[in-house]
Amino acid sequence: MRVVVVAFATASDVLGEDGVEVDLPEGSRVRDLGAALMERHPKLKPMWGRLAVAVDGELVGGSHPLEEGVEVALLPPVSGGSGA
Amino acid sequence: MSARARLVDEPIDVTAAERAVAAPGCGAVLLFLGTVRDHHRGRAVKLLTYNAYRPMALKVLERITAELEAEEAGLRVAIVHRLGDVPVGEASVVIAVASPHRQAAYEASRLALERLKREVPIWKREHYDDGDVAWREEEPLGSGTSKQTLA
Repeated sequence: MRVVVVAFATASDVLGEDGVEVDLPEGSRVRDLGAALMERHPKLKPMWGRLAVAVDGELVGGSHPLEEGVEVALLPPVSGGSGA
Repeated sequence: MSARARLVDEPIDVTAAERAVAAPGCGAVLLFLGTVRDHHRGRAVKLLTYNAYRPMALKVLERITAELEAEEAGLRVAIVHRLGDVPVGEASVVIAVASPHRQAAYEASRLALERLKREVPIWKREHYDDGDVAWREEEPLGSGTSKQTLA
């Protein structure tokens, strides 16, 4: 199955801002996607533990099962709002 | 969908945010502006660039306004976040709260900003006077809520 991965902030410095398609075996979970991405992009390794992951806009854990066509977002710690 | 949660790519219209919440039953309208500061940890900052995972950011902003409004009868909340380049001194976020009484408005305004900083997928990139650029990554997304682990 194919999933679309979009990345932000420092994760987008590694994966690019346009997102990437990743082909995975059926039954893959978020953590399997992580392993595939880290093999392809070793710079993700030190980052992975700090990332939150959302599937189709909802936060999920590493055991969350993936399905064909979903959008997976790699979300580093956030800094919205202001310095106030 | 609440029109009171918005992401904009231009300077925030503060008066429009006020109008979005004002109501005859409200005796208090509180406006909070979060503005871009000219320094961070001793370094001079000239500009911030805000970037969002837009569909999720909007959804979470809508959830925050709806949940705050559900807590208190008559309370109305608007949160507007600006994206893209925001120069020093301009507002990156405006929170407008209208309430029958002022105490609830102060509380909701504070909570809205605290939740925004932890739950909304928005990042800022600092551009320093010396030409250097760096992402600021501060709060693990979802911290303080039901945190999912990647392990």
